[in-house]
Amino acid sequence: MNKSYAGNVTDHAYSEARPAQPKKMVNKSVPGKGKQLASQIIPPLVVLLLFVGGWEFIGRLIGIAPYLLPKPSDIFLAARDNIGNLMVSVGTTVMEAVIGFAVSVVLGISLAILLALSKMVERSVYPYAIILQTIPIVAIAPIIVIWFGAGLNAIVIISFLISFFPILSNTLIGLNSTEQNMKNLFYLYNATKFQTIMKLRIPAALPYIVAGLKISCSLSVVGAIVGEYIAGIGGGKGGLGYAITIAASRLQTPYLFACGLSAAILGVLFFLLVNQASKWLLSSWHESAMNHSN
Amino acid sequence: MTLQSAQQLAAPYSSESKGLLVHLDHVDKIYPNGTVAVQNANLRAGEGEFLCFVGPSGCGKSTIFNMITGLTSHTAGELAVLGTTPREARKQNEIAFVFQEHTLLPWANLLENVTLPLKLRGVPQSVRKEEGERVLELVGLKEHMKVLPRQLSGGMKMRVSIARALISRPKLLLMDEPFGALDEITRQTLQDELLSIWQREKKMTVLFITHNVFEAVFLSTKVVVMTPRPGKIAQMIDIPVPFPRGEDFRTTPEFSDYVRAVSGALNH
Repeated sequence: MNKSYAGNVTDHAYSEARPAQPKKMVNKSVPGKGKQLASQIIPPLVVLLLFVGGWEFIGRLIGIAPYLLPKPSDIFLAARDNIGNLMVSVGTTVMEAVIGFAVSVVLGISLAILLALSKMVERSVYPYAIILQTIPIVAIAPIIVIWFGAGLNAIVIISFLISFFPILSNTLIGLNSTEQNMKNLFYLYNATKFQTIMKLRIPAALPYIVAGLKISCSLSVVGAIVGEYIAGIGGGKGGLGYAITIAASRLQTPYLFACGLSAAILGVLFFLLVNQASKWLLSSWHESAMNHSN
Repeated sequence: MTLQSAQQLAAPYSSESKGLLVHLDHVDKIYPNGTVAVQNANLRAGEGEFLCFVGPSGCGKSTIFNMITGLTSHTAGELAVLGTTPREARKQNEIAFVFQEHTLLPWANLLENVTLPLKLRGVPQSVRKEEGERVLELVGLKEHMKVLPRQLSGGMKMRVSIARALISRPKLLLMDEPFGALDEITRQTLQDELLSIWQREKKMTVLFITHNVFEAVFLSTKVVVMTPRPGKIAQMIDIPVPFPRGEDFRTTPEFSDYVRAVSGALNH
């Protein structure tokens, strides 16, 4: 799915096709689309079923203890029995990741614009952004907990720190790779610096920004879980990271697996959501004209 | 502001520059590393002229273009555009530019693309739309005004680029190898269209850079022949053939004579 999307973008951005051509191609591909989708989904589905079935079968055959390696059925039962707690944990983690991601987007893009406006600022600030990125989060996390206390604030900050840099660096690369010809054009028509950034450099950087968002959204989930692991608080509202530590300390291995799986599903869903949003954003990057030209 | 440009602002240009859209007087451009890009260029372009600069790459034709637009500054001599410095001249919104690349915004439709210069100086939407439709009609693309550039062929993109240049009814149109990337047939069609637009605008002066001798002779009232190492203006050849020049002009013996004269000057 991801791959076909990338192909789409290139087509949109660089093809010189005449109006009639893409339409024809779309029409042609419509009947085969269901078939194609099936051929994409069925093989991995078969592998999944074989894997889960084999796991269950061997688990039953050997009779391995569930606290060492739970069978898929054990995991399912553990998830079903604790569904209330699990949902609360997932909800908490989603909220933290979304806030962390949102802060990353806002701060990452604004800082990149600031850096792009002045080479001087870029040269003096960007190295520290890189250093911030290279310090292991596990080393900073305790300090964040000391400063902001355990709980939501610290977790959101940790999620933000992990997901911030890809957005910053991608946006900055995008803003700095505006074609010289286009910049000359704006310069010759007496555009102000503000006009050049708003009407040329930011729209031109959009594909790069979107690439940054896609990397960062999964990272923000990882960040939230790592944050909960270190700074999570219970009180019936702990996130997945917190639930994982508790389950591990109580040797509730099946529930531990259920939490881990939920986290993975969460990350994938978040990515698909942002991927879809990016698609929409980029198509409006090309098609924006259609709406507000009046 | 540098001392040099301050002086240029203070000192009024010689009366000679008046009435001339572009005036180069003993202009040199020497890069800091000592490369002489343009040496002792003298040029006068009056109202309604169509000047073609022709020469091999490295002859300084693009450098002259960049000095006139103000993208780079000259190092010696006097250079006046619309009777003032290039920077001041640009502020009068009387100069327009066309490059070899179409330089259209890929995310904006044709109407938005051609009206960009007006938008940048805050012209209201209703006027922008009216003017945008006018210039798109001029290049025959009015019915496509909501289309995005990527849906157009190379020749159509160049038409849009020309329409964008025409939107502010410029006195001076600067074109840097605009048809260089087009196929021969499209190129000839666009040459015809450009000439008919130029004739309709009467007073518009065009400076047109090309490396194609046939193109230069066909289009211009005067061909400026440039030679490299160091880049200098070798010869000016008037082409006093009346307009409109149709397809048949390309096949007249007269045309071949001018082409031969220009080629001769190039190989001097």
